[in-house]
Amino acid sequence: MNFNREDDGDVTVLRISGSLDALSTPELRPTIDALVAEKRPAITVDLTDLRLIDSSGVGAIVSLYKRMKALGAKVEVVGLKDQPLAIFRLLRLDRIFAV
Amino acid sequence: MRYHGAVIHLRVPGTLRYRDLAVRVVGSACKLVGTPDETTGPIRNTQWDNEVVSAFGEAFNNAAIHSYDGKPGDVDIEVDAGVSAITIRLIDYGKSFAIEEVPLPDLDALPESGLGLYIIRSFMDEVKYVAGSPNVLSMTKYLDPARRQVRQPSDRLQDSGGGDSRQ
Repeated sequence: MNFNREDDGDVTVLRISGSLDALSTPELRPTIDALVAEKRPAITVDLTDLRLIDSSGVGAIVSLYKRMKALGAKVEVVGLKDQPLAIFRLLRLDRIFAV
Repeated sequence: MRYHGAVIHLRVPGTLRYRDLAVRVVGSACKLVGTPDETTGPIRNTQWDNEVVSAFGEAFNNAAIHSYDGKPGDVDIEVDAGVSAITIRLIDYGKSFAIEEVPLPDLDALPESGLGLYIIRSFMDEVKYVAGSPNVLSMTKYLDPARRQVRQPSDRLQDSGGGDSRQ
């Protein structure tokens, strides 16, 4: 799994690629904590290059969403396809994120 | 010539470090399911493969995180890539759990954990867990939707044993 964060004004784009799973998700947690601590107003999670996600990875993204929403911030997920899209649909996260 | 499919055996340490390797093997095995001549039977598609891989990944997580929980031990994986279905048996020698006691997640509450078994039960057509030494989780997914029984994820288990609770 690789990820990078880019800030452009109020918007932060968090790009995650590869496999976001039980092994790799802990690497992402400090970045999520930082986004929450900084109270970023708008976050776009770009999963265009995400190949695989498991329940641990979903948990991290849902955690980001819930914590940012509590701060009044906006979180969107873009670029879902293939296996990650199947997981998001199964877990009915397409209600929350316009995927 | 009759096509009988293939059975693949894999043994890896029961740690998350080997998760990706095991998932890739299962993903490749999916491509062996079906008949060589795809005009004679139902065919796989990417969605079918994605569902199998997703379910297996969660099963491996459970073995590594909950059954072994950092203790050393192997996971034996048997993949029966047949003409009409794939059956995956995941065998571990760690702690057992009571599958029937694992509750369905409340998806409306946006849970951040406790989703693994739900994914397994939802994406596979038959799920059977026999606790003991070893613990054996068997999962089958059919190519032909007509062979699947229409059931809720909570119904898609057949056996269980005692032990801890897990995701």
